[in-house]
Amino acid sequence: MTGSPVLDAPAVLDVADLHVEFDTYGGVVQAVRGASFSVHAGKTLAIVGESGCGKSVSVQSIMGLIPMPPGRITRGTALLDGVDIIRQKIVNGQDVRGNRVGMIFQDPMSALNPTMRVGDQIAETLQVHRGYSKRKAFDRAVEVLTLTNIPEAEKRARQYPFAFSGGMLQRAMIAIAIACEPAVLIADEPTTALDVTIQAQILDLLKALQARNGMAIVLITHDLGVVARMADEVAVMYAGEIVEKGSVDDVFYRAAHPYTLGLKAAMPSSTTSKSEGLRPIEGTPPDLFAPPTGCGYFARCPHAMRLCGPSHPFRFDVDPGHEALCWLHHPDAPATAPELHRRGQA
Amino acid sequence: MLLYTLKRLLQGIVTVWFIATATFIAMHAVPGDPLANERATTESIRRNLEERYGLDRPVTEQYFVFLGNMLRGDFGISFTQENRRVNDIILENFPVSATLGILAVAFAAFGGVLWGALTAIYRNRLPDLIITFLVILGISVPSFVVAALGQLVLVDINAWLGYSLLPVAGWGSIRHMIVPSMVLGLGTMAYLTRLMRSSMLEITSSDFIRTARAKGLPPTRIFLKHQLRNAILPVVTVLGPAIAAITTGGFVVELVFAIPGLGRSFVQSVQQLDYTVIMGTTVFYGAFLVFMVIVVDLLYGLIDPRVRLE
Amino acid sequence: MSVVERFAPADFEPALIERRVQALSRPSLSYWQDAVRRLRGNWRATASLGVVIGLVAFALAGPWLWRVDPSVQDLDQLSLGPALPSTARIVEPSVPWAGVTTEPTQSGVAVTNLRLAAPATTQTVRLVWEPVIDAAGYAIYRNIYDPGSERTLGLPIGDVLGANRASYEDQLDLDPRRYWYSVVAVDANLAEQTEYTTLAVDAVRAVSPEEAVARGWAQNAAALGVGDTITLPFHPLGTDYLGRDMLARLMYGARVSLFIGVVAPVLFVLIGIVYGSIAGFVGGRLDQMLMRFAEFVIALPFLLFMILFKIAFGIGPGESGVIPMLVALVILGWPATARLVRGQILQIRQEGYVSASQLLGARTGYLIFRHMIPNTLGVILVTLTFAVPSAIFTEAFLSFIGMGVAPPTPSWGSMANEGVRTMLSHPHELIFPAVFISVAVLAFNLLGDGLRDALDVRMRGRE
Repeated sequence: MTGSPVLDAPAVLDVADLHVEFDTYGGVVQAVRGASFSVHAGKTLAIVGESGCGKSVSVQSIMGLIPMPPGRITRGTALLDGVDIIRQKIVNGQDVRGNRVGMIFQDPMSALNPTMRVGDQIAETLQVHRGYSKRKAFDRAVEVLTLTNIPEAEKRARQYPFAFSGGMLQRAMIAIAIACEPAVLIADEPTTALDVTIQAQILDLLKALQARNGMAIVLITHDLGVVARMADEVAVMYAGEIVEKGSVDDVFYRAAHPYTLGLKAAMPSSTTSKSEGLRPIEGTPPDLFAPPTGCGYFARCPHAMRLCGPSHPFRFDVDPGHEALCWLHHPDAPATAPELHRRGQA
Repeated sequence: MLLYTLKRLLQGIVTVWFIATATFIAMHAVPGDPLANERATTESIRRNLEERYGLDRPVTEQYFVFLGNMLRGDFGISFTQENRRVNDIILENFPVSATLGILAVAFAAFGGVLWGALTAIYRNRLPDLIITFLVILGISVPSFVVAALGQLVLVDINAWLGYSLLPVAGWGSIRHMIVPSMVLGLGTMAYLTRLMRSSMLEITSSDFIRTARAKGLPPTRIFLKHQLRNAILPVVTVLGPAIAAITTGGFVVELVFAIPGLGRSFVQSVQQLDYTVIMGTTVFYGAFLVFMVIVVDLLYGLIDPRVRLE
Repeated sequence: MSVVERFAPADFEPALIERRVQALSRPSLSYWQDAVRRLRGNWRATASLGVVIGLVAFALAGPWLWRVDPSVQDLDQLSLGPALPSTARIVEPSVPWAGVTTEPTQSGVAVTNLRLAAPATTQTVRLVWEPVIDAAGYAIYRNIYDPGSERTLGLPIGDVLGANRASYEDQLDLDPRRYWYSVVAVDANLAEQTEYTTLAVDAVRAVSPEEAVARGWAQNAAALGVGDTITLPFHPLGTDYLGRDMLARLMYGARVSLFIGVVAPVLFVLIGIVYGSIAGFVGGRLDQMLMRFAEFVIALPFLLFMILFKIAFGIGPGESGVIPMLVALVILGWPATARLVRGQILQIRQEGYVSASQLLGARTGYLIFRHMIPNTLGVILVTLTFAVPSAIFTEAFLSFIGMGVAPPTPSWGSMANEGVRTMLSHPHELIFPAVFISVAVLAFNLLGDGLRDALDVRMRGRE
């Protein structure tokens, strides 16, 4: 299912029914069990979920960054401009990685080559994908670095990564990713390792670059605050599946899955009084060596019904462009969980 | 950088002093009077030595004489070879050992980096298994056995070919240098291969390689500019001590292949209890090694930019 | 939707809580359990452990099972290769032989019908032939190779004058092997003919009863009858150039090499642990001083000082030289471990879990024993396992250049040294000790590798 019907343009990146598994000493782990999501030009899709839910694996497998073996994509397609980039690394005569799709990662301190100048690392992509000369590539690299609001970009480009702070390194990584003006930027937890103040700067930077280039952003995060700030569309992931998908307003104000409700409830707010305490979600995520045949959230869901255990829930359309993987949306389901938004409600 | 160099040099000098002192103490702990060895000395040498070293004076005085001489670069005269200055012995034999050592190190370094990178790339496939097997042999078989076997094989090859492909012993031309330096470098090459392999494997799973792949760089480029460049650092670190090991291990190769180097003369001087030569060689070798390690460390600073600003 | 048919109203009732709990399928493993599991899975390491145990058993139990004195020389079987036991035949003490003379009836340049008059033994070989008319005499040669067509007749062992001489006795002390005897006719001018006759002869070891007793092969001369066969001392792996049993020497050599190879590292690792812990804990100036001293010792050229120490301690007559070598190894080896341990301790002190433990109120003793030592233990174990092959190597190396244990104390290194000299003719004297050294070093190295992989924290839970 593609994005909301409000947008007529087709998605830039359309992932359908992705399945990824790994061979380990304990058996086969099903890390991603049927994820589908898409993102449009100029828009940001946030994939939210807790550690181990499969969000990083999804995007990394599409980009070919998961070692295969021991990993395997057993099913699914990822269409970029209509071409499946899981099977093909070149679209319309251009490389995908680094060129049409850029990626930035979580820990900027270790993500750059310590023995190479920062400017050269940016220039590399231009040399390889655009065929620039060393000189031209370096000049352009300095330009891109300036775009990321790094002061004294020329001087910085000649320095090595160890001379940069965390925030600056992330900017440098962003520069590397956008140097070839990609259609999609995938940001895998870009702010998790940074201070809160720097976080805000980086996110604003991404938004500004997006407005400038018109690129689509896929933002992986576990922080709902970041989602609220950046996302246009949200996909909530749990135990290798997308359990809820919709616009940011839909997911935040009209949550249609018990897990999303749990996440929201767990977020401490300034209005929570001391005596109330924090409200975590009880239990732990399911073991993906032997994934549950029914709903993955069954063990922890306060509203679980009998059929939720053995039967895997269908994907229900709650509202146009808003779907949830939960039996509570079955027409025969009782009206428990009043805080859960259902079809037709305001 | 300059300050760092000066600091290292100063440390080096202190270390050499320590080595000289330790050598002095060790030599004077030897039971018996070195000059009492009738076979070794003639009357004239004996008088010369007594005069020069004050062997009849108290030990502490002798120590300062010794240090004084050392500072002036004078290692004295040989006990057993009449009128031969130790300095001359060292100057004559050292270049040979140094050449052998440098060639062996070069051979070991090249080979180690090459094989190590190959085993990492073809991990768990056939090239890896073969090379790993050879490497394990290389670190287990004692160097002297390798030297002896090497010579044996060479003799056989020459016999089978009917002419001398490479000389079996001696020194003098490039052809003489090939087999001994290969034999000498073999053990270190095996060690460096393993080091390079683990370094490569560690680098390959690191974050910045993931970034490089995400950039869509071609594999060759990733290999050369990103993997190799970083993986080689531990190998360079080890190169200093490796040079030390190779130069001392050179003894055996020099003995087996009859190469007139410092190692062989050292062993001979030990067997003949030629004390001045023993002391002189030890201090000289010690100083040489200390400064080699400093040179390598400075070299490392050139490759790894992180060290430069320390 | 067919969904409507598939579910009954009861399905939509709330699920019971007990049924929802899903058991963890992976058992939790402690650090050591995980390490042992990984070590067991590493076949190279387990095989090496087996080899190490085997070598230790060889060294300790071997001499009990194979009771042969490694310094006794069997002069009759010098440089013997690995072989089944040799035998000797009992014969009469040799009596002089008159020889055979025959009037030649044939003409020609070479004798015919060259044969043995009696079975050939190591004491005497008696040749007989058909003489030729034109000869003035005959020259007899003996070679250990077949002369073939190149006329490499070998050693001239004698000649007889007279055409009718038809025999020769070789009483030179022979080895029990194959010889080629050649007889060449000599003409009136005492020039040899170009043609010759050859006979291959296998000399069998033979002794008289008295000789057998004298050489210690039998007890009672009277009990031995002519034609009996007695067995010589058995050397399954052969003997060296002095006739000493290789197997016994290898066993005793194992004791020496393994003793030095294991005890020295244990000692200097212990010293290093104490020294390094103190430096790491106390810190500050004491740490600086201690480490400075340690670095100096490391800077000493290892081999040179090993040799110096050996000379300094001196080796008196009758001493084996094992203890001086042990002491020298320990003196030069401890700083490396000290540095390692100190580094580990410094690193661990800064780890989050130590601060956390302190915050929870842990006392220093608890911190040391519960946190620091277990985390250092891994590094120490690995260092120890790698120090052993290095020590074995060094000992072998020094013994090889003559700076090791004193003869006749056997060690693998000194055996290899002696073996090199006869490498071309009797390779077994070099091969056996070399193989033992290599196997020991290899086994400890692989074991060290396995331990390191098993104890490496980063590999926990990851394959």
